[in-house]
Amino acid sequence: MVRYQRADPEAPRALIVALSPALLRFFRSQIAIREQADDLLQETWMRIHRVRHTYRPGEPVLPWVYAIARRVGIDGYRRTRRISSHESAMEVVPEKAAPVEARNTLPAFDTLVAALPEAQREVVTMMKVGGLSLEEVARATSCTVGAVKQKAHRAYERLRKLLETQAAEGWKGRIDELR
Amino acid sequence: MNCGDVDQALIGESAIAHFPLDVQEHLRSCKLCQEIVRALSAPVPSYYSSPATLSQIEQKLVADLEAVRPLMPAGYAVVLGAIFVSFLALAVHRLGAFAITVMSQLQTSAMLGAMAISTGVLIYSLVHQMVPGSLHRVSPRLLPIAILSSLIGVMTVLFQFQHDADYWLRALVCLRAGTPIGFLTAVPFWLVLRRGAIISPTMTGATTGLLSGLVGTSVLEIHCPNLDAWHILVSHLGIAVLCSMAGLTLGRGAERCSADRTQK
Repeated sequence: MVRYQRADPEAPRALIVALSPALLRFFRSQIAIREQADDLLQETWMRIHRVRHTYRPGEPVLPWVYAIARRVGIDGYRRTRRISSHESAMEVVPEKAAPVEARNTLPAFDTLVAALPEAQREVVTMMKVGGLSLEEVARATSCTVGAVKQKAHRAYERLRKLLETQAAEGWKGRIDELR
Repeated sequence: MNCGDVDQALIGESAIAHFPLDVQEHLRSCKLCQEIVRALSAPVPSYYSSPATLSQIEQKLVADLEAVRPLMPAGYAVVLGAIFVSFLALAVHRLGAFAITVMSQLQTSAMLGAMAISTGVLIYSLVHQMVPGSLHRVSPRLLPIAILSSLIGVMTVLFQFQHDADYWLRALVCLRAGTPIGFLTAVPFWLVLRRGAIISPTMTGATTGLLSGLVGTSVLEIHCPNLDAWHILVSHLGIAVLCSMAGLTLGRGAERCSADRTQK
């Protein structure tokens, strides 16, 4: 990052290769903006480029990058919501119902966290997928460490309840109900 | 040892191998905890952009690559503080410091102390908001509310509630004197803040509005000799509330514009 600030022409490539998969995974984990993940990735890099002077050498890079990516994601989500509210449904074709996952099969991470509210999902995704520590998540989300801890705790409580009732209902129906 | 302790371990450590021994023991006996740990530890599929996309991004970045100097938050804190003091001094010089002669020593020192602390905390938060990924000791979302509540508490304790016949007339005079000072101070504050990367314009708008509003409030606290608690709360602190609301509204507007600009 410091080399990037010093205009080393090799630095952008190194950063893009190292961070893009994690950023793409972050965007893909958010259902509302999943379809635009590639566009959001590009937009994130453009913003990173514009504000690269705000990175302070010696500080962790990941929270700085995730904070920018999170903002891009929020903008993307708002845009999608605004567009979809203006669009009128021309023809609704009923989708074929997805097969319900087997009773004792554990759901995939994305399916599991899809049942969580946005703020909790974001924290769990950053911690478990991005590999960020509590403090790094707090930095990325402009929260205090205590607030992040509380969100993570509530998320795990909710997931526990969800897993408890998994046996009674299929995942699809349960997630729809919780959202 | 219960399931809550497993949650604590999950929050702290990502690998099961690093869990404390008693947590691992609980895991062996609790099926539900086993499931949640297994689900959260399961490998997440990796996604990759096409090399063409990555190369396109790289070309865009390299095409506009220039050396930049890293932002120094401490320097910006000093600049924000200097703006606050300059506007305060100018306004007090113009309006006069009549309240100082009327207030007791305790009231003067407690009021000015509370203002100084609030200003310091707001500046500290703002320079952190200029830099994405900063660690906030106090939640920036709650800070404006916390500061306003503390100031209300201090003012309520220090001043007595009285019945004033010309209450609204005097209130209007103070509001008309202090509000333009607050709005004017917001301009240089904004010019400084735009050099950083504002991640949440709504939050930063409210904080900046409160800081500039506090210039107006401080000026009136030094100038206005009316010591009625109602007057101070409504006409002096009201300016800070007004400016904060204006900042919040402008920030929200900026956030919407930013989303639209990205779309184009």
